[in-house]
Amino acid sequence: MTLSILIAIPFAAGLLGLPFGGRQAKAVSLVGSLATLIIAGTLAVRYDTALGGAQFTVDKLWIEPIGVHWALAIDGLNLALVALTAFVYFCVVVACLFRDDERPGQFFFHLGFAASAVLGAFLAQDLLLFVLFFDLMLIPFYFLVGQWGDGERIKATTKMVIYTLSGSLLMFAAAAAAGALTASQYGMPVNFLISNLQNHALDHSTQHWVFVCFALAFLVKMPAVPLHGWLRDAYRAMPLPALALFSGVLSKVAAYGFLKLAVPLFPDGAADARTVLLIVALASILYGSALAFTTSDARLVVGYSSIAQLGFILLGIFSLTEAGAQGALMQMVNHGVVTVLLVAIVGMLAARAKGSEDLGSMGAIAMGAPVMAVVFLIAALANLAMPASANFIGEFLILRGTWDSASVFAVLACIGVVMAAVYMLRMYIRSMHGPDENDVEKREMSWREAATVVPAVIVVLALALYPQALLSRSEGATTASILDAANGAMVNPIAPEARK
Amino acid sequence: MSLQTHAWLVLAFPLAGTILLGLLRPVLSGKKAGAIGTLAILLAFANGVAAVIKLQELPSESREVVSSLWTYANTGGLDAQLSILIDPLSLLMVLIVAGVSTLIHLYSVAYLASDEGYVRFFAYLNFFVFSMLVLVLAGNFVLLIVGWALVGAASYLLISFWYRRNTATKAGIKAFVINVLGDVGIVLGTILLLGATGSVDFLTVFNEAPQVFNSNDGTLVAACLLLMVGAFAKSAQVPFHTWLPDAMEGPTPVSALIHAATMVTAGVYLIARMHPLFELAPTAQVVGGIIGLLTLLIAATIGLVVTDLKRVIAYSTMSQIGYMIMAVSSGIYVSGLFHLMTHAFFKALLFMAAGSVIGAMAGEQSLNRMGGFRKVMPITYACFIIGGLALSGMPPFSGFFSKDDILLGIGELGGWHWILYVGGYIGALMTAIYTFRMIFRAFHGDPCEEAKSLEAGRLYHAPEHRNPADGTLEDTGVGFPGSKHHIAERSVAMTIAMGVLAFLATTAGVLQIPKISHVMENFLEPTFVGAKHFGVEIDTSLLLFGMGLGTVLGLLGIWIAWTLYVKRPGSAAAIEARFAGAHKLFANKWYFDEAIDFAIVRPFAALGRFGQRTVERVVVDGGITAGPVSLARVSSAAVRSWQSGLLRAYAAAITFGAALVLLYFLLQG
Repeated sequence: MTLSILIAIPFAAGLLGLPFGGRQAKAVSLVGSLATLIIAGTLAVRYDTALGGAQFTVDKLWIEPIGVHWALAIDGLNLALVALTAFVYFCVVVACLFRDDERPGQFFFHLGFAASAVLGAFLAQDLLLFVLFFDLMLIPFYFLVGQWGDGERIKATTKMVIYTLSGSLLMFAAAAAAGALTASQYGMPVNFLISNLQNHALDHSTQHWVFVCFALAFLVKMPAVPLHGWLRDAYRAMPLPALALFSGVLSKVAAYGFLKLAVPLFPDGAADARTVLLIVALASILYGSALAFTTSDARLVVGYSSIAQLGFILLGIFSLTEAGAQGALMQMVNHGVVTVLLVAIVGMLAARAKGSEDLGSMGAIAMGAPVMAVVFLIAALANLAMPASANFIGEFLILRGTWDSASVFAVLACIGVVMAAVYMLRMYIRSMHGPDENDVEKREMSWREAATVVPAVIVVLALALYPQALLSRSEGATTASILDAANGAMVNPIAPEARK
Repeated sequence: MSLQTHAWLVLAFPLAGTILLGLLRPVLSGKKAGAIGTLAILLAFANGVAAVIKLQELPSESREVVSSLWTYANTGGLDAQLSILIDPLSLLMVLIVAGVSTLIHLYSVAYLASDEGYVRFFAYLNFFVFSMLVLVLAGNFVLLIVGWALVGAASYLLISFWYRRNTATKAGIKAFVINVLGDVGIVLGTILLLGATGSVDFLTVFNEAPQVFNSNDGTLVAACLLLMVGAFAKSAQVPFHTWLPDAMEGPTPVSALIHAATMVTAGVYLIARMHPLFELAPTAQVVGGIIGLLTLLIAATIGLVVTDLKRVIAYSTMSQIGYMIMAVSSGIYVSGLFHLMTHAFFKALLFMAAGSVIGAMAGEQSLNRMGGFRKVMPITYACFIIGGLALSGMPPFSGFFSKDDILLGIGELGGWHWILYVGGYIGALMTAIYTFRMIFRAFHGDPCEEAKSLEAGRLYHAPEHRNPADGTLEDTGVGFPGSKHHIAERSVAMTIAMGVLAFLATTAGVLQIPKISHVMENFLEPTFVGAKHFGVEIDTSLLLFGMGLGTVLGLLGIWIAWTLYVKRPGSAAAIEARFAGAHKLFANKWYFDEAIDFAIVRPFAALGRFGQRTVERVVVDGGITAGPVSLARVSSAAVRSWQSGLLRAYAAAITFGAALVLLYFLLQG
């Protein structure tokens, strides 16, 4: 029940504000996002780590003829991601309070809709329910880009919709087939509950194509190279708050999909496709980084860096080790929080450079904005996985796991670690430092701007001091996710000394 | 208070100083920020001294105390505590770092008085000291990496302190990226060790290593070499050294603190700290010894021809660290650390004195423009002479004892080490030449315009403010000196700082004199008691030969410099013309920058540009995207002909439907 309410609140807040003007819509959404954050936070605290497993479960037969359940739960895997979603939604709403978007009622409605869909996808314990929420996520962004976007928004929308919809349709077909084929293989009524599917493995050859369909859908959404074609235009066109939500949490749904569904439900398929996915991960890291340090568009630095960071996450998952999966989950949360900061910073930079997001039109902003410089530096260093940030622990675990099971990939991925330093510092230097040539407004963060970044800065610092808070809750769940696939791929998922 | 409390306070004060300065920045006026910053480091130093006293009270075999605050990360076979290791080695480093830092903070109080970023400078400086202390106190690899990377970040911030200078931001990013490369080396080394020993805790790894690894085990050698990548990147050893000369873009106190006395010696500390591993990996030790030798010789040759005052000292730092790396890689840890300490004193002194000259030159750093400062700046001149004699290894200055201790120890080893022994003495000769070349060119000869101006009682101000590195015109808000400035010897704070260091540079040698005094050795004994070459009997004839040779070479070097630059001023140019090829090679710094640019920087930039221009535009937009998009466009055009906005209506319908579904469950649930 609590979880159903949690999903409903952002949507309801948006719906409630729909008929009203700016001020009321803002107030309702703020209250809604705060309530979401409080509930998600309470659940995270109340989750019994010692007990583990699925908790706060809801399970109702929903669409009887095809056996779809309205099944929700919190477990070690989605706990932090649900909290992350609530947090990012809250930050985005706060950021929007100070914007004057057209048709604010609708704008907030779509944001709430998106948050609800993401929460639903994270909480769903039924395969078709997950697919439903996964597809629902696209709709609000279709409107957010298409109606509130800048520049070539129509082209961007079309591209994004076609890319992600093709992935979604493949996944939908694969999910339906997985349920039906499991039922016929084991001679039982059709049932899409994830726990049920996990207990009844499909035969080897079916697993292959089902896994491929899921993988494609997730890789498009993340996005991973070479399926990132929609990213540049969509990122450029998206209004900044929508971008924070999109880049901060939607991409994590895809990564989470691998850990929650694709790998544990179709372990043979995952084991066989492992090398390909490791190559995709590595390509995303290296190519994404190379793009990030040659673009001069501040927003695209963030976007391309996301490709690289999600490459690391993918690498961790398909190392098929406990350390790698733990690191991947940790990086999902870290990247979500840091992205909120970076997107907000892009907004602040543009506000000072006469609306331009071109790094070449900035420079020396730090002269008049020391606090902003510190915030930016914290975000930049966290994003490049500076040791002392929680991102470093995530990256360390990923590299550790990858080293144990696929050493070459770990070594090559290290190039990406160095490149991250180049592109983040380049972005920082070209905007905040450098000669004062471009007649940029060098003003300090306003209170409003500060309000949008302070919560994220606090979370980044808190995680840096105590990353164990995240790690301890997810340990059992991540290991369970990759165990079968690891056995299939002849990988030892648990580091030898951990057993000692 | 307990030993542990003192050790944690060593870390707490600089951190508190950083935070306090950051928060109070808008309200701090005058020199308050400098006072807060200096006091924070002084308190850290005091706690370091107290910790040493407490540690000495313990019996020798239990002078190895681990203290942990909380579990930092424990999952997937990694167990990292927030723990520090308090032993003689870490506390020696604490004393050197905090002690020299206190003096340099004091010096900076006056040196940067007219800079707009005064508070920011002290916040950065305190942050650096905090990071460096984390590095030396860390009790496990994860925390070591944290400290290791944080000093890199602090160094970046301080090199780019005058961030409106392109030369400074470029130098900053270069230093940071090379150091990240080093971090990666340590991370991979840690992963290897973690895989083999199952721990990241120093003491556990050191205890496990002899059980897990045979001598020269492949994994262990690889791990040690990876750790060395980190050490070389931080300590500016070839081929990872190119950032150090550029780092001279930072204000002079930064050069003194980070790029001479503390951070750059972290690699030496790392190898000494990891000695139980390196002793099991002789191959890695050989690599370290050879890299140290190469660095010491290459840097010395560049030092002979460089004309920028600060860069001469920077190359000499590289060269001296080469000696230290050579020592600790050969298993002579106490000598290496002894030289680390004396070098911290005399090199910080030289940089401070150089700051005084740069003040008198109004920011100009080229030796070609200097001359004749001897009479007008007697204290600075005396500091240069003391620092220079110590650097050249002349008795009875501290550098004489520490450098000879290293070469003596290497000589005792025999075997292939004679290459290091001979190379070390060749380096010593070059050291004396370039050091006194610098001193004679700056202080002797005809007084330059600036010196004359000072003699007449006016501090020289340049008619226009220019970046000394590339000559671009600037406002007075950036670079040294700001709108008004001092020269060190006329400011009390700076004179005190230089005086204390001059005293230490002169006398610190008494701490370790073969067969006479063994303070260093006795203090460090608990850390290195198991090391192979610890406390080896010293051969008297080799000792006397080495000391004699060191003195003779030092005198010879000074005589050569005297002849070339004072007695016959034109002869240096003649030699340059005679050996034009070598001069070109040295003046172009052996073309390391060009080689790295060609082999690494350009290929990656090319990949990125190729990605942007070709792959993204042609392949992604043209091939992958255009197909489906045009298909959709054609089909939607067909549909649009009878109903516009279909897609939107469809999406709206889904939205509405979803709303109903959610509402249904809300009511039902």
